[in-house]
Amino acid sequence: MNIITIDNVCKNYKSKKALDNVSLSIKQGELFGLLGVNGAGKTTLIKILCGLTRKTSGTIRINNFDVDKEIDKIKEIIDISPQETSVANNLTVKENLEFFANIYNNNDANTINEIVDVFNLNEVLNQRAKTLSGGYKRRLSIAIALISKPKILFLDEPTLGLDVFARRELWNIIKKLQKNITIILTSHYLEEIENLCDRVAILSNGKLLKIGTIEEIKQLNNTQNFEDSFIKLVEANNE
Amino acid sequence: MNKVVNFYKRNLKEVLRDPLIYIFCLGFPIAMFFLFYIINKFSNGNTPTFEVLSLLPGIIVFSYSFVMLTLSIMVSKDKQTFFLKRLYSSPMKSYDFILGYSLVGLFIGVLQTLICIITGLIISLISSVDFVSISNILLLIIAQFPMLITNIFLGILFGTIFSDKSAPGICSVFISLAGILGGCWMPIETMGSFETFCRFLPFYPSVYIGRIITNSTNALGIAYSFDNIASFGLITISLFMIASIFLAIFAFNKNMVSDK
Repeated sequence: MNIITIDNVCKNYKSKKALDNVSLSIKQGELFGLLGVNGAGKTTLIKILCGLTRKTSGTIRINNFDVDKEIDKIKEIIDISPQETSVANNLTVKENLEFFANIYNNNDANTINEIVDVFNLNEVLNQRAKTLSGGYKRRLSIAIALISKPKILFLDEPTLGLDVFARRELWNIIKKLQKNITIILTSHYLEEIENLCDRVAILSNGKLLKIGTIEEIKQLNNTQNFEDSFIKLVEANNE
Repeated sequence: MNKVVNFYKRNLKEVLRDPLIYIFCLGFPIAMFFLFYIINKFSNGNTPTFEVLSLLPGIIVFSYSFVMLTLSIMVSKDKQTFFLKRLYSSPMKSYDFILGYSLVGLFIGVLQTLICIITGLIISLISSVDFVSISNILLLIIAQFPMLITNIFLGILFGTIFSDKSAPGICSVFISLAGILGGCWMPIETMGSFETFCRFLPFYPSVYIGRIITNSTNALGIAYSFDNIASFGLITISLFMIASIFLAIFAFNKNMVSDK
């Protein structure tokens, strides 16, 4: 069953086409990757799906709700961990979690404790967010996104700027989450997409170049590895 | 309402954990009060504007501009760190945000008013001057309320429109304007057409009405009374308050769904 259906979506910024007739669907429970170089349109698409930016044309349905008419209902079932670790800096880790839980009327101590355990936040629970390391801030940012128990979770560049250990640790957490919710993950790290995603959509200059599993994309392009496929697709589009 | 209270609590914690609030919002008005008291004392009490009853409304109005500064910094930082963007994708509505920010401004403003009144009382005791009656203190708080609201919404407006780097700069212009054009420590009533000009801005009329309530006298030795300046001032203050509310709400709603 498709939980997100995107049909012919365009987004124009003055003279630039950020999204050019993008159509795709995402299945419930899927870990779906949006891959592309900087400026490909990944973040724009996520912003449109979350109701943060309006599309120029096309239709989008999320859990059967229309993004134009029923955005309030959509906001009840989605959450986002943006590219920037957007947390309340002067609040402690615990206060941040409680604050976001209260927004969704979900301030259940068990849920918070569960999330604290999953993300190994116990040792920094009473520490102010601004004093956390980059890795902990990212973890907190994703933990916050899960506190609402969303049906759909958007992870925009979740491991951006993290060292290899922190990145691997986050991958393991994301893999654990995958079982229960639909995750849409954007990244420009190929190995991240390859390791985590069930299916992937490759975007370049606002256009959807290919969609499928990693294996399907490799086969279609007659390449041995995913990186070669990606480069081949993007270069062909740029020519 | 739960979301408003939740957001208000978060904002209050953020503000109270920032040392700047104690310096600007609380320390600065007290320091100004004592500074002008000392100047007046050393000028043998020849500066009526610096008399405690005259200073009190001026410093209250001036201190409200720091509420504007605090809110503009908070909103612009929340915007800059994408904290607001994240909240925009939550079920929070624009009125939850605006009320959550406004209540913090209200809290700081009321606290500042009380601190100014207490400081004024202390100075009046030191200088053996009769202070304002309790009923007039309440009237003074009510009379300055529109100016507080104006500053709260201007703070939200500037924080929404400008970045966290430029918002404080814009606010500092307004802080200076509040001090100079409000006649807080300048005998505007002796300045002819400049005084007429100041009537069209909310600062001077607010201070003027406050001085009527505190029974103070102007630089010419004439007691402030409810005259044309005060009645015209009420219109000016109301218009600025309504305009700031509408502009802040409009700008914030626009920011919630934008291409930025």
